[in-house]
Amino acid sequence: MTGAGAERWERLARAAAAAREGREEPLAQRELLRVEVAGSPYALPIERVREIVRLRAITAVPRVPALVLGVISLRGEIVQVLDLRQALGAEAEPPGRRARIVVLHGESGEVAGLLVDAVSEVLRVPESELRDAPGEPVPCVSAICTRGDRFVSLLDPDQVFELAAS
Amino acid sequence: MASRSRESARDKLQQEFISEAEEILERMRDDLSALAEQRAAGREAPPETVNRLFRSAHSLKGLSGMFGHAALSELAHHLEDVLDRLRMGRTTLGQGGLALLDESVALAAAGLEKVGRGESADAVAEPIADLVGRIAAWDAAPAAPGESTPLPPHWLRALTEYEESRLRESQRRGRALHVIELELEIASFEETLSELTGAIQEVGELISTLPSPGASSESRIRFALLAASELEAKELAARLELAPDAVHAAHAGAAAGAAESAAPPGAPGAPETGAPETPAPEADAATLKSLSETVRVDIKKLDELMNLVGDLAHERSALRALALRLGGERATARAAAELEKIQRGLDRKLQELQAGVLDVRMVPLGQVFDKLSRVVRRLRLDLGKDARLEIQGADTELDKLIVEQLVDPLMHLVRNAFDHAIEPAAERAARGKPAQGLIRIEATQRGHDVAISVADDGRGIHPEQVRARAVQRGLIAADATLSRKEAFALLFLPGFSTRSEVSETSGRGVGLDVVRANVSALGGLVAVDSTPGVGTSVTLTLPITLAIIQVLLVGVAGQRFAIPLGGIRETLLVTPGELERSGPRELLHLRGDALPVRRLAEEFALAAVDRARKQYAVVLGIGDARLALLVDRLEGQQDAVIKPVQGPVRSVRGVAGATELGDQNAVLVLDVSALVEDGTKRREGA
Repeated sequence: MTGAGAERWERLARAAAAAREGREEPLAQRELLRVEVAGSPYALPIERVREIVRLRAITAVPRVPALVLGVISLRGEIVQVLDLRQALGAEAEPPGRRARIVVLHGESGEVAGLLVDAVSEVLRVPESELRDAPGEPVPCVSAICTRGDRFVSLLDPDQVFELAAS
Repeated sequence: MASRSRESARDKLQQEFISEAEEILERMRDDLSALAEQRAAGREAPPETVNRLFRSAHSLKGLSGMFGHAALSELAHHLEDVLDRLRMGRTTLGQGGLALLDESVALAAAGLEKVGRGESADAVAEPIADLVGRIAAWDAAPAAPGESTPLPPHWLRALTEYEESRLRESQRRGRALHVIELELEIASFEETLSELTGAIQEVGELISTLPSPGASSESRIRFALLAASELEAKELAARLELAPDAVHAAHAGAAAGAAESAAPPGAPGAPETGAPETPAPEADAATLKSLSETVRVDIKKLDELMNLVGDLAHERSALRALALRLGGERATARAAAELEKIQRGLDRKLQELQAGVLDVRMVPLGQVFDKLSRVVRRLRLDLGKDARLEIQGADTELDKLIVEQLVDPLMHLVRNAFDHAIEPAAERAARGKPAQGLIRIEATQRGHDVAISVADDGRGIHPEQVRARAVQRGLIAADATLSRKEAFALLFLPGFSTRSEVSETSGRGVGLDVVRANVSALGGLVAVDSTPGVGTSVTLTLPITLAIIQVLLVGVAGQRFAIPLGGIRETLLVTPGELERSGPRELLHLRGDALPVRRLAEEFALAAVDRARKQYAVVLGIGDARLALLVDRLEGQQDAVIKPVQGPVRSVRGVAGATELGDQNAVLVLDVSALVEDGTKRREGA
């Protein structure tokens, strides 16, 4: 079992044990990493986030979709970096000072970094407050929640990965 | 020095043999005990277990033969024969057979132990010869009726013909046989028995009721009931409201007392005919302790180690750079010299470490070849053709990862040769060839490469036919002129197949293109040569390892790339005037040859090309194909650990992977074979 799979398994097992003992299921509370992309807040499931790294030189790779910015070396591990701006349909822009690469692991153990404009905070959102996005389905967005007077879109990392692979 | 390394190589091989053989024997022991259990439970020997046993015996035979342990090989050979017949249903495994198999495994283990102690396995040749004799005798004996039933023979004799047929039917339906032992009051036993019979019939079938001795008092009588049921012994006991120990699975030794006395009064006390259940306990105990000092390691762990070595090499480079910098200044010159010395010592040790880790990854190709012999053996049966496999260079070593990836391509080539190339015996006779075909596999190490050729003495391939077919398929123009080599190269095009009919053996539409794809994924190449009527040979050339390679760093438009040194023939500076334009293409004349030219900047759309600029040409070569790849700068050689890349980046044509060169920056490693292939390809229809 991959590391990611094992973690998920453990989380589920804990949740199941909690449910059996009649405690409140911890799954009901989601922890999300809030990131900023093209002026809007987005959220990534924190259990998928492996690390957050400062921007570094990204080695461009030829013959790939524009959304694939290239690869970086993370302590010797080669990790592909995807531009979340482009994945969400915004124009590519040179990254600013607050730009970060959020390294995520996918459903099947693959690893990829997402370039975001900034990482802002960790949100704790009760599962019940997550709703389907209204209107037309937006690519990569699996749900939304409100924070203050703003909508935060919850992203599905696997959909972003798929977008890059197509 | 040379003889020492040869000796250690032999030691290493011997270790390899022992650990492999131990593993096989372990597997056989497991399977045999599984068979014994199945048998005890009254079930038929599961075919997959018998098949696995057969394969194990076969591997053991090949392995022992390869290492010159004739006695072991002989034993395994007989085992293989018996197991082969068993799995084909030509013989059945009785208790005697099982005991013989047990004994064989124990004896092989004893022989292996001798080898482990540095003695010859021939020390056990005598008991082996004796055992082989007994196996042959047992095997020759016709299977007795009911031989496959898990009951002692004298009990079987007590059954009526009908009961016996019910017994066989129950077994056929996969029901378990149980013996129910109980003691009843003589006064009321009939009532109790009929109640029990009714209850048993609800969950199975009562096959026989046999009175047995040993009742506790004159007024009581003991019975042994033979019942067949889908239920396990414990479940059955619960169902019948009996004590759990009153019901147990029937096996040859079960209820011997009951059976003995159950024999009709007229029958003489039947002598025990089953073989004793004593599979050489001494040898068994000895093999509990592992003989070899080999450890099986996950290749991933070796990859991690290799990465670590690579990282250390980077640190050393940094140290060296520092030493050079310090050396430039008067005040620190002496310290710099010291540092340089330390650095050099470190470098030597690092190289040893690297070589050591690489060495661990190496496995002999014999592992794959062994599988191929098995394939040929099966094909011989399936196709009714005869060909033998001749193997050379089984001890040639390659990176474990590469060896694993080679199984499929080699399997495919051997099947192809057997199926398509080797002619039927009559045709061979007509051509004056020996009736038995020959498929020869040979592995040789050439520098940093290993060449593996699969050659046959079959009908061969006509370049003209290949050409005609390629034209017919629209792969080339009708008037294309092709050299012999170019014609054979067409065989690797996807969808190309020289025989129109689909064959079971070689699969549908799966051809040499798949072999080539597999091999080039490993950084290797494939070449075919053939003489019509004489035979065909396919040669795979592979790097010894993928783990660490030497690369040349080149620069193009502000980006760096690494090119594996193995694919580079030479580098040279070229001025624009040295390039000849020929239509849309450019050529570089080099010592009388005109090489096709590709510019990396264009190939990867990195930057606009300034054709007036001087460029470096990196001459790439794969087999006979050469390509001049133009780059802006050459930045020196370096060791690189190629890291896997995930996602879309992995499938980029022309990129083999990425590496990190110590400065925290990822550098793409070029796929030389893809570049050469694309660069030298004729334009479609040209």
